[in-house]
Amino acid sequence: MAEVILRHIKKVYPNTESKKSKKKGEPEKKKSNLLVTEEGVLAVQDFDLDIKDQEFIVLVGPSGCGKSTTLRMVAGLEGISGGDLLIDGKKVNDVEPKDRDIAMVFQNYALYPHMTVRGNMEFPLKLQKMDPAEIKRRVEEAAEILGITQFLERKPKALSGGQRQRVAIGRAIVREPKVLLMDEPLSNLDAKLRNQMRAEIIKLRQRINATFIYVTHDQTEAMTLGDRIVIMKDGVVQQIGTPQELFDHPKNVFVAGFIGMPQMNMFDAELIENGGKYSVRLADVTVELSEEKQKNLAKNGVKSQKITLGVRPEHITLAQGADSVKGKVEVFEMMGSAIHLHANACGRDTIIIVQTMNLEDAERSGLSIGSEISFTFGGGVAHVFGENGENLEA
Amino acid sequence: MNKAKQNEGAVGGKLVNRIILALLIIGCLTILFPLYMTVIIAFKQPSEMTNDVAGALGFPQSWSLSNFAEAMRVTDFWHSLGNSLLLTGATVVICVLLHSLGGYLIGRKMRKLKFFNLAYLYLISGMFVPFAVLMMPLVKQTAQIGIANRFGVIVLYVVFFMPMNVMLYSGYLSNIPEALDEAACVDGAGVWQTFWKIIFPNMKPMHATVAVLTAMSTWNDVMTPLVIMSGTDQNTLPLAQLNFQTQFGTNYNLAFASYLLALLPILIFYIVCQKQIINGVVNGAVK
Repeated sequence: MAEVILRHIKKVYPNTESKKSKKKGEPEKKKSNLLVTEEGVLAVQDFDLDIKDQEFIVLVGPSGCGKSTTLRMVAGLEGISGGDLLIDGKKVNDVEPKDRDIAMVFQNYALYPHMTVRGNMEFPLKLQKMDPAEIKRRVEEAAEILGITQFLERKPKALSGGQRQRVAIGRAIVREPKVLLMDEPLSNLDAKLRNQMRAEIIKLRQRINATFIYVTHDQTEAMTLGDRIVIMKDGVVQQIGTPQELFDHPKNVFVAGFIGMPQMNMFDAELIENGGKYSVRLADVTVELSEEKQKNLAKNGVKSQKITLGVRPEHITLAQGADSVKGKVEVFEMMGSAIHLHANACGRDTIIIVQTMNLEDAERSGLSIGSEISFTFGGGVAHVFGENGENLEA
Repeated sequence: MNKAKQNEGAVGGKLVNRIILALLIIGCLTILFPLYMTVIIAFKQPSEMTNDVAGALGFPQSWSLSNFAEAMRVTDFWHSLGNSLLLTGATVVICVLLHSLGGYLIGRKMRKLKFFNLAYLYLISGMFVPFAVLMMPLVKQTAQIGIANRFGVIVLYVVFFMPMNVMLYSGYLSNIPEALDEAACVDGAGVWQTFWKIIFPNMKPMHATVAVLTAMSTWNDVMTPLVIMSGTDQNTLPLAQLNFQTQFGTNYNLAFASYLLALLPILIFYIVCQKQIINGVVNGAVK
């Protein structure tokens, strides 16, 4: 069992910027949107999460959102300013990293350059004064799993990026840790290798019994790897849920924009409530919302108001007629199985995905740059966000 | 028109190159000429030392090693060499072990804690204190605490070279990612194990740089052993070589033969470390 519980975890860094500017008598310049209090800069605020045994949790968010800081607090490489961290029910806030039964894979591999691959993998086990025969067995087993047996006697400098990353993972798994932490392990690899290694991690996960906490800024990695995803922004958790939940029911505009590739289209629109029936008006087009959405909005007592309307590119369909939104194609991207159109509609860059299968040549020529197009969307796929950016259905 | 300008540029460039080449040749000569003179004087007999240019620059009449044998006898060569090796070897080993540890501590912590930043500046300020200022108090103090001997000289060397070496080591640390320390920490290593098993082996180029700089300074130093160990009958090679200078003159032939003999061990040490030192200087320069 290796449950990890984070209770109101907080990380505060001293606010050195304000001291400097106070001395100079200059107004304080804000480098990020992190909350600054009298205590200092709040890099992580009130992080609350229960991670189940053998669950794969992905922390995702833009640079500076506090995801790596959170991971480093779990690892014990950063002190915890407030809250409790429990691993297997034991509070470990002040426990040394080596006594937490965790292992970590670093973004830049952090392999020991003077040791061979075998030396790197043996290092944590030797520190535990493990029996040499057991060390040999574990190293060879991990090497077998990761396909690096033939490189065991090589130094890290003689390996490619992908091989080094495997060694870094190998060094982590030989310890058979309760919790395996990964800090953007694939970000230094090229796109092809990244896809390959992502699949390797999925396979690895099935072979070892550990709880995974994985940090990335890549939403594709988050969606494909995670059982649950934690989306962070400016040190605050925005939403926690399964990939499907986040995709279907984003809690706010930030989550809606972050999850999904290409990202969700956002429009300034109007929500109209008429006798308990809800519809959205975009330009001159009115779309009635689905039953489920009607119910959720009614439950929250939402009134007519200006909204931000979100529609995913894959949920937009090209259409003709009066009940469709007009736009002009500005960018045409051929992706093979689909075409990504960037159209200017309602003053916004709107992305529309058009499947190429069954697309006639004449239809395709009508989508070229400068063409006028019309599109529509269903009432079940429209996301309604209030002026504060929160989803009105939630 | 443009072609003419290009040609002018090319001619100008060639001229600059020639001037630089000439300066480099002059630079080489200033090093090679004294070395040449040292070698030929070491082989000449005192009777061959003439004032005319051709005689002074010419080869010796015979390539006899008698000067070297005599120089070895006068300087009690093996005893002096032993002392020099002991002082230099011990100083280099202690400097590499201690100063790398100090450099690691200061280099890793100085950006996080003000105390280490101040400690760094305090140590570095030691580089600007000339030995002459410290000489008399040191002679008195080492005598008072009973270390006016080889041990005392080694202690003083370790202290004198500390500012320079700590600066080199802490600067070099920026080439070693902090993620290595963190990886070792997560792997279960304490600070001590992290240093000896991970950081120390990775500072090899800087060890070579520090070893060569420290060894050369220690090997060639006259003043410290002279003022601290005088009368202990524990001469180092440079001290023993003072025997060639008398009130009435200097026996250059024996002196230069002795200098050549003293040059050899440090030259061999330098050649051994050369590959690493070049790497070390380049890497350390990044900081």
